[in-house]
Amino acid sequence: MLCALAAIPILIAVAVRLSSAVPAGRGPAFLDRITQNGLFVGVTALLVSVPLFLPLTVGVVAGDTVAGEAGLGTLRYLLVAPAGRVRLLLVKYAGAVAFAITAPLVVALVGAAIGAALFPVGPVTLLSGDSIGAAEALLRLLLIAAYLAVSLMGLSAIGLFMSTLTDVPVGAMASTVVLSVVSQVLDALPQLDWLHPWLFSHYWLDFADLLRQPIAWDSFLTNLLLQGGYVAVFGALAYGRFITKDVLS
Amino acid sequence: MTRKWLRWIPAVAVPAVIAAGVLSGSLPASAGDPLPEKTPQQVLLMVAQHGEKSLSGTLEQSSEIGLPDLPTSGSGARSPETAWLELLAGPHTARIYLDGPGKARVQVMDKMAERDAVTNGNDLWFYNSKDNTAAHAQLPADAADRQEARPGTQTPAELADKLLAKLDPGTAVTVGPDTRVAGRAAYNLVLTPKSDVTLLASVAIAVDGESGLPLGVEVKARGQSGPAFSVAFTSLTLEAPDASLFNFTPPPGATVKEIPLADHKADAAALPPDARTANAAKRPTVIGTGWESVLEFPAGSITLPDQTPPQTGAPDQAAANPLQPGTADPRGTRPDAAALLEQAAVAVPGGKLVSTSLVNVLILDDGRVLAGSVPLERLQSAATQR
Repeated sequence: MLCALAAIPILIAVAVRLSSAVPAGRGPAFLDRITQNGLFVGVTALLVSVPLFLPLTVGVVAGDTVAGEAGLGTLRYLLVAPAGRVRLLLVKYAGAVAFAITAPLVVALVGAAIGAALFPVGPVTLLSGDSIGAAEALLRLLLIAAYLAVSLMGLSAIGLFMSTLTDVPVGAMASTVVLSVVSQVLDALPQLDWLHPWLFSHYWLDFADLLRQPIAWDSFLTNLLLQGGYVAVFGALAYGRFITKDVLS
Repeated sequence: MTRKWLRWIPAVAVPAVIAAGVLSGSLPASAGDPLPEKTPQQVLLMVAQHGEKSLSGTLEQSSEIGLPDLPTSGSGARSPETAWLELLAGPHTARIYLDGPGKARVQVMDKMAERDAVTNGNDLWFYNSKDNTAAHAQLPADAADRQEARPGTQTPAELADKLLAKLDPGTAVTVGPDTRVAGRAAYNLVLTPKSDVTLLASVAIAVDGESGLPLGVEVKARGQSGPAFSVAFTSLTLEAPDASLFNFTPPPGATVKEIPLADHKADAAALPPDARTANAAKRPTVIGTGWESVLEFPAGSITLPDQTPPQTGAPDQAAANPLQPGTADPRGTRPDAAALLEQAAVAVPGGKLVSTSLVNVLILDDGRVLAGSVPLERLQSAATQR
């Protein structure tokens, strides 16, 4: 799955390299900047993968955590070991979180690498119009990856909870991915704007605030708080469900 | 069985704790009346005397004036032609940095984009990251202390100063209960029109209790519970921002446009900024006084979308520079904006009416345009007076 994610920046970079110049303001943001600076491949790839690819892969991994073991019939053997269900749940969640951290990092780093290989690398223009050096730009790219990793924490917790509900891993994966899509659809409806700050996907695209000068940290903190809330709620739900569950497979 | 239910306690307790935390956070902090009592005159004086020249803060602006929503996604949205209209409708967040009279920077934060205005001494820069364009203007040597950058989102100080200058006997000025803006205790100066023939219900200005700096402006319309327009700081520090913020050089690869300001110079000196685009021959006339006044633009001074554009126009500010919408003057609008105007207008006897909760604009069939913060009947009677 990480390879599939890594293919996104490569695809973008090769497509831009082979095609003629993109007029400014068309396509995803930053696309027109790639020819001037390869580091933007990473940013563009992250932007493109936020709505679907990242939630999809995270949903698959998180949905597979407990239900995958149950589906294979190995869950009860895991529980025979004197480890305790809470510890198993925590380890499983840690695994999902590790993937949520790795996934955006892979996209960002592969993007930066392929961009540096195919395009010139130089000072990066921020949204504010100021320019920063390539080293600082790489730091900002890593910050964006960290922002997205935080953004995916809530979804991982939801996936973990879904995974404890069923013995069919595909069901847990699908419902997690569908939830993330539903959340984004609700976020796009202006009639529901009272609900928007509570949707776990609401701040996903606000990583642009890290590309301003000076960095606007507000959205980072708000996002952290919101995702923490989701982790707490769905972690507690998953705990309640998994502790009381009759494990038959 | 009971043991099993006990295991669900965290699942219930965590949402309950979060809900309690959110509720207690959203309750207004009732800290009594921390500020000493002041009369409206004293608060006005505080505003007039405030000497805060350096600050950095975040402004939030929101409007609910009944204009149709502009598309914010999809192709063609946010084109420069509709940018000035777009600043009026919908919410915006902007960061503002001021240091002395000559240095200012405003950043309007859009989704995945940003519009910047920077003044440093005599240089005035605009930058739009959406299409990577920059515009530069060389201000006249004496302009730095006379006029500051006037981008779309105005600072509370500018808005309040404008309103306070307009105070007349037709207005009741009171000091309401103290409010909190950006975490600071503030006086709440409320202006209520005495006239019944206006759409405005009240204008509230939050004045910082310590420094006298206006922190927020809230305009309410009649028959609308929420504010029709509000702009307020959400965070504010009264310290000089980093000096490097004001050094702007256009990024490599950006399209840089030079705006000639020479011909504006004479106009700007003689006219208030509002009337800068209206040239002397086609100056609008004012009918009535105070809150009931109606602006009448003679036929031909405003080009309607279905008419041919004027041959000799001043440089089209809205198109040349999306950051500075100038006045809400439909002149120079492009098909995009024309379609929006067409969508917003309704046919009334004698012409077309564009109605918002704060301003009504009556476009007569004979080409005259009347605008005012008054009901339609008042506009119609003003139209027949002459």
